[in-house]
Amino acid sequence: MGTAVTAKEVGGETQGVEASQVADVPKGSLVRRTKRQRFILDGIIVLVGLAFILPMLWLLDAAFSNNASQAMSVPQLTFGNFKAAIAAGAGGAIKNSLYLAIVSTFIATVVSILAAYVLSRRRVPLKGAMLIVVLFLTGLPITLLLIPIYVMYVHLGWDNSPFYTSVALAATSVPFAIWLLKNFIDQVPREFEEAAAIEGAGGVRILWRIVIPLATPGIFVAAILTFINSWGAFLLPLVIDANPQNTPGALGIYEFMSANGRVQFGPLSAYAILFSLPVIVLYLISTRWLHGGFAFAGGVKG
Amino acid sequence: MAKIVLEGVDKLFKGKPRPAVESLDLEVEDGEFLVMVGPSGCGKTTTLRMIAGFETPTHGVIRIGGKAMNNVLPKDRNLAMVFQNYALFPHMSVAKNLSFGMKARREPRAKINKDVETIASMLGIDSLLDRKPSELSGGERQRVALGRALLRRPEAFLMDEPLSNLDAALRVQMRLEIKRIHTQFPVTTVYVTHDQVEAMTMADRIALMNAGRLQQTAVPESIYDHPANAFVAGFIGTPKINFFTGTVVRDGGTPRVSFLECSCSVNGSAGAALEKLSSSTVTVGFRPEEIRVAPEGGGRLPTAKCVVEMVEPLGPETNVVARCGDQLFVCRTSARSGLEAGDAVTMEFDTSQMKLFDAESGGSLE
Repeated sequence: MGTAVTAKEVGGETQGVEASQVADVPKGSLVRRTKRQRFILDGIIVLVGLAFILPMLWLLDAAFSNNASQAMSVPQLTFGNFKAAIAAGAGGAIKNSLYLAIVSTFIATVVSILAAYVLSRRRVPLKGAMLIVVLFLTGLPITLLLIPIYVMYVHLGWDNSPFYTSVALAATSVPFAIWLLKNFIDQVPREFEEAAAIEGAGGVRILWRIVIPLATPGIFVAAILTFINSWGAFLLPLVIDANPQNTPGALGIYEFMSANGRVQFGPLSAYAILFSLPVIVLYLISTRWLHGGFAFAGGVKG
Repeated sequence: MAKIVLEGVDKLFKGKPRPAVESLDLEVEDGEFLVMVGPSGCGKTTTLRMIAGFETPTHGVIRIGGKAMNNVLPKDRNLAMVFQNYALFPHMSVAKNLSFGMKARREPRAKINKDVETIASMLGIDSLLDRKPSELSGGERQRVALGRALLRRPEAFLMDEPLSNLDAALRVQMRLEIKRIHTQFPVTTVYVTHDQVEAMTMADRIALMNAGRLQQTAVPESIYDHPANAFVAGFIGTPKINFFTGTVVRDGGTPRVSFLECSCSVNGSAGAALEKLSSSTVTVGFRPEEIRVAPEGGGRLPTAKCVVEMVEPLGPETNVVARCGDQLFVCRTSARSGLEAGDAVTMEFDTSQMKLFDAESGGSLE
């Protein structure tokens, strides 16, 4: 590796390069760089990484310190901040967030699978227009929906209800989930459904036993994105649910921030870490799952 | 088991200039193994898909077992299909793939298990029941696809180029296997392929299609010996039939046809057809085995002096590509002809087998 003389492109011209200047490159790498180039690139990567990691490190530091401030210090490893956060309602808020996220994910996933399947497989009048509308809706900001949903919910008596808040949250995620799942289901070869149909399987069986298992990675991605979207929900619960017992995590942190006059970095950081834990666990689980890959190999040649 | 009838079937796809299938009238007898063959885009797969119910005919009726099927869903047609790419469900084991249909039709579990084992051992895949399709070879996947079709116990089998993804040796083996299965379970079968060798070796009858139209339906020997038109003659037979431009000479007596340096009289029904023909050119066809090196001292058959362009030894026989004037043709001789490129040779033409076609329409003049 890196012992032969290689041609190097510098500013568009190709020049020969001494063997010693070429750094060891991983096998299969398409680009060969000089040691200097690698050093500079690595330096940039480290700096960017630090810009992201330092705030996280501060958060960890502040959560475990007694006198947390905006500066970093060696943590004293106390759990007092976590106890303060839970006393302020972090536990309840996280439970509420779990409810909202799980219910809205379930509703959104079921609705979008059915919609995506039909949009992918069936002849629907004005399908093209419908798909463009769905695409447009994915970019719709939630602030546009707040007041209309509030008015509608109050009129229907659906305000101050975690369940109906979940429904609203699901609705905000459905357009993107439909778009994602439709494109995913498009990739499932139709031959599988044809083979199942000629075997005597009806529509529901085909969807349940053939399409959904083969679209599982896409369904998983759509579900995770919905979950994360609902987990961090702030504006919708703020507007349509005034009951303090239904406060979800994001709202809870906001209220905690101004609760005691001045910002208490320690308990606030602890609250934030507690609130992030479920999503981190979900991320770890999902990366393992998604490595399962796409299961078409072997079913259809090529 | 059922008879399949297509009456006046058309299929037009939106945006395509010509129909995929045009005015198709076809009958597949009960228990018959019919092979639909033709070049890519001829409409054979579209026809198969219409029989299966995946496409709806634009016009015409499809009957299976006497019942019109135009509005019947694929799942209710009681057919089984083997796809070109097998379409084995990749997330299910072989056993689950085999039993999928029976479970969908809610058959008793004990019967499902027993039948799956019987068919699996018949096809030699009983050791593979727990594997997933991705862990199988091409031939094994094909057997599983066949097994799934057999377990359907259908009124008819539909097969869409099931052997085209296999290597040559395996293809020959599976050809025999499929025919053996058909002998054991004589179910009406419609088999689609672009390979004329498969058609000739497997079919009870061949239905040859081109550009959406049915060209000829006949038993393999008839299609070979009495092609309905120049396309059929050219499609069936390897190496391809040789076509020459022939001139018709009508001088009151038996009409004669001259081609290359030869001339011969044409009797019988072909002669009568020549009499009626207004044009004076025809297309003359000779299969490679009907052109031979003339024996020393000549014979009774017309001959032409040619130059050998290329010799292709195939083992049991040799293809000789020769040129006479500006016409190139292939003749098949026994092995070790001793000929070499550049040799001058006299070829004789077996005019008893000569095929005559209308120069414009391509129709046979028999």
